Amino acid sequence: MSKRQLAMVMDLNKCIGCQTCTVACKTQWTNRNGREYMYWNNVETYPGKGYPKNWMELGGGFDAAGDLQPGIIPNIESDYGVPWDYNFDSLAEQNLIDGGSQAAWRPETSPTWGPNWDEDEGAGEFPRDNYFFYIPRICNHCTNPGCLSACPRDAIFKREEDGVVLVDLDRCQGYRYCIAGCPYKKIYFNPKISKSEKCILCFPRIEQGLPPACAQSCVGRIRFVGFLDDEEGQVYKLVHKYKVALPLRPDYGTQPNVYYIPPVDTPPKFDAEGRIIEGSNRIPTEELEKLFGPGVHEAIKTIREERKRRAETGESELMDILIAYQHKDMFRLDHNYYTQVAKEKGVKPLPLVDDRYVAGKYTKPSSLSHFKVHS
Amino acid sequence: MRAILQVAAVLSVTASGMVAGNIVEAVKVESLDGFKCGTPLVKKIKWTPVAVYPQSTVKLNDKRALELHKGAKGKIVEVGALTDGKEIAIVLRWPDKSQDLYKGYKSDLYADGFAVQFASSAQEPEKLPYIGMGSDGRPVAIYLRKAYERVYEPNGGGDVAHQVNPHNTPYFGGALEKFKEEVAQKGTTTYQRAFVSEGFRSMTEIRDGSASYRTDMHYVEKRGGMWGGTVIRPVEDGYAAPTQGEYAVAIAVWDGKELERDGLKRLSGWIAVKLPGGKNGELERVVSEVVSGDLANGKKQFETNCASCHWSRDFQNAPLYMAPGLENIGGQATAAYLRESILDPNAVVVPGYNRNAHPNFSWYMVDEKGNRTSTMPPFNYLDKKSIEDLVAYLQSQKAEVEK
Repeated sequence: MSKRQLAMVMDLNKCIGCQTCTVACKTQWTNRNGREYMYWNNVETYPGKGYPKNWMELGGGFDAAGDLQPGIIPNIESDYGVPWDYNFDSLAEQNLIDGGSQAAWRPETSPTWGPNWDEDEGAGEFPRDNYFFYIPRICNHCTNPGCLSACPRDAIFKREEDGVVLVDLDRCQGYRYCIAGCPYKKIYFNPKISKSEKCILCFPRIEQGLPPACAQSCVGRIRFVGFLDDEEGQVYKLVHKYKVALPLRPDYGTQPNVYYIPPVDTPPKFDAEGRIIEGSNRIPTEELEKLFGPGVHEAIKTIREERKRRAETGESELMDILIAYQHKDMFRLDHNYYTQVAKEKGVKPLPLVDDRYVAGKYTKPSSLSHFKVHS
Repeated sequence: MRAILQVAAVLSVTASGMVAGNIVEAVKVESLDGFKCGTPLVKKIKWTPVAVYPQSTVKLNDKRALELHKGAKGKIVEVGALTDGKEIAIVLRWPDKSQDLYKGYKSDLYADGFAVQFASSAQEPEKLPYIGMGSDGRPVAIYLRKAYERVYEPNGGGDVAHQVNPHNTPYFGGALEKFKEEVAQKGTTTYQRAFVSEGFRSMTEIRDGSASYRTDMHYVEKRGGMWGGTVIRPVEDGYAAPTQGEYAVAIAVWDGKELERDGLKRLSGWIAVKLPGGKNGELERVVSEVVSGDLANGKKQFETNCASCHWSRDFQNAPLYMAPGLENIGGQATAAYLRESILDPNAVVVPGYNRNAHPNFSWYMVDEKGNRTSTMPPFNYLDKKSIEDLVAYLQSQKAEVEK
C-alpha cells in the first residue's frame, strides 16, 4: 500500500457522454505507436456491453478469500474494435463523372465492435421504462491491483507517493497476465512494442500542477481529483464525509480509487396509457447496487436529503460541492508535497505550469509566494 | 535416414518410461562463424533426445490457456552442441505442428519460442540452481528467442520525435513516407534477449551489451513441422563458464498455439553439455541419476508428509495455491535437488506468486534483510529409506510424453 492515495470522483448525474475526456486522453497519450486501439479513458453506456466487449464477464480480480482469479484476454477485432480509417484515398482519386455513382464513405475493414458500439441503447422498453446512463472509466489505480498481482515479472508497481499504478516498460515482457488479472480490463497490450500499457493518471501533468487531461477537459465538470487523506478536499468529503462517492464493482476485491456518485433521480416511468407513474424511477436500484455495492442505498438517501435541505434552508455543503463551482476547489494536487517527494528522491521537481490547483494537505495556498486566486 | 532412426530411438526411450540421458556432447568444428539452422555444419551434431515437461509449479491466471493445458503432455526436443574453442553453440530441434509467428495488430497472439539456460557454474553439481530460472546465490544466464515478425522499441533510445502519430506530424506526401520509414527502422525483426536471474522474479535483461550472443530460429515443414533453434555464446564469459569442460544447461520451448509464454512452457531438467575433452563425472551422474526406490512406499510417504500442501499426479486435495505443484517435478528436478529440498527447504526458496495474488498462502517468510525462509518444515527426521522412496516417487511425477 502506498503512503498516500490520489483519487478521482466522477458524478454520474452530470455525465452527458460527450467523450471530451476520451478525446483529451487519446490525443495526449494513445493516438500512436500501437496504442491506437486503446482507450485509457472511455465513456460507455450502461446497461451495455461496454469496452472491451463484456468486460464485466472476463474474469480477473479477487475472490472473497483474496485469491487472484483467472481471466480472459480480449481480442482486438472482436472485443476492443479495430481503429479503422475510411477510404479517403480511393474517394479522392475516383472519377465521379466517368466512374458512375460508386462514391461512398466506407471503413477500410468490416468492424464488428468498437468503443461505444452500443451507445445510448440502454435497456427497457421505449417509451415506458427505457433508461441508460453513462459511465466514464479510467484505470482505478487500485489499492490492491489485480494487474500488479498477476505480473510474474514484477513489472507493475504502485507509486509510493500517490498510489498511481504504473508499468515499468523495461521489465515488462508482454506476457499479458496483467490483462487477465484486471477485472476492469483497463490495462492494454501494445502489439507494436509487445508490452502492456495503461492510464498513468497523467502523473507528469499532476506533478506540474495540472489535473489529468480527462478531468480538466470535462465540460460537465463531473470529475474531482485529490488525495484521499486531504480532509479539506472535496474528494475526501464526497468519499469519506458524505459517503456518496462509491467504487465501481467493489466485489472484484481490488479496492479501486476512482469513485462514482450514482445517478440519483431519473425521469419517472410511463404506464400503458402513457401516463406518468408518480414516484417511479427508471434506473432500477438493483442495477446500481450491482455496480456500486450496498452503499448505494445510503448514498442516494444522503443526496436526496441534502437536496431537500438545500431547497428548504438554502444551505448544504454537499450540494455546493456537487454544483462544482470552481475547478480550483475540485482539483487539489498538493504541489508542495510533490516538490518535497522530488527533493527526497534527489531529483529536480518539475516546474509548476499552473498555480490554480496547487492546494492540498501539505500545500496552503498562502504559503506559496506566487499564488494568486483567480476568481 | 539417420534422423528417422533417431526419432524412433527417442520414441522407444520414452515409451519404456526411461529418462533420456540428458548428456550432450559438443562436437569440435573449425569455426562457428555464420553458423545457423540449416547450414551444413548441422550434420556434424550429435543429437541427444531430451524430454521437456509442462511447467506446473505455479498456476498462471490466463483462463483460456489453463483450459488448453489440462492434461498437457511432454515433448521430445533433440539437443546438440558445437564448439570452435572460442564459442559454444547449443542447437535444438523440436516438433511443432504449427508455425506461430507473432505479427500484426493483435492482443491475444503468442509466438513460438525457445530458451537456453546456463547455470553460471557447475562447481557443485548437487547444488545446481533451481531449474526455474535459478535461485538465490545460484545464478543462471538465459538466452531467449521468439518467433516475432517485427517489434518496435521507439522508447529504447528515448526517441520522442518518432513517437508522434503520423497524422500529427507536419509532413505530407514523400516527407510523410520518409517519416514512416524512419519509424520502421527503429523496429527489429529479431526478438532475442539475454537475461541473468537468481530466481524467476529477479530475472533481468542484460542491456549493457556485456552479453555477447546470437540466436537463430527456423521452421521446416518436414516430419509434420518442426522448429530448429540455435544459441551461440562465448565458451566462457562473466555470466557462465564450464566446470571441468562441462556446463549445466536447461532448455524450454513455447508453443504459441497453446497460448504459451513465460511460465506456460515446456521445460527440461538439467542437461550436462560436455566440451571436447570435458570430464565432470559428478555433473553427469547428478543429471542422469534415477533413484530406484519403492514407489508404493514413496507414494504413501507423499500422502502422509506432502499431500496436505503439494499436488502430485495422484493427490490434488491441497488448496490450489498452497505450495508449488509437483505434477511434473520428476521431469525437471534432479534427485539431488529433491533430496535437498526435503531435508533443507531453505536451501532453495522458490519466489512463487506475487505476494499479493494469493495472500493466504505464503510460500516463504521474509526478514528485515530480505532473506527468505521457506514455510515448509524440514523433513530431516524421515529415515533414509523413506526419503529415497519419496524421491523415487517424485521422479515418477511427470506428464506422458507426446508420441
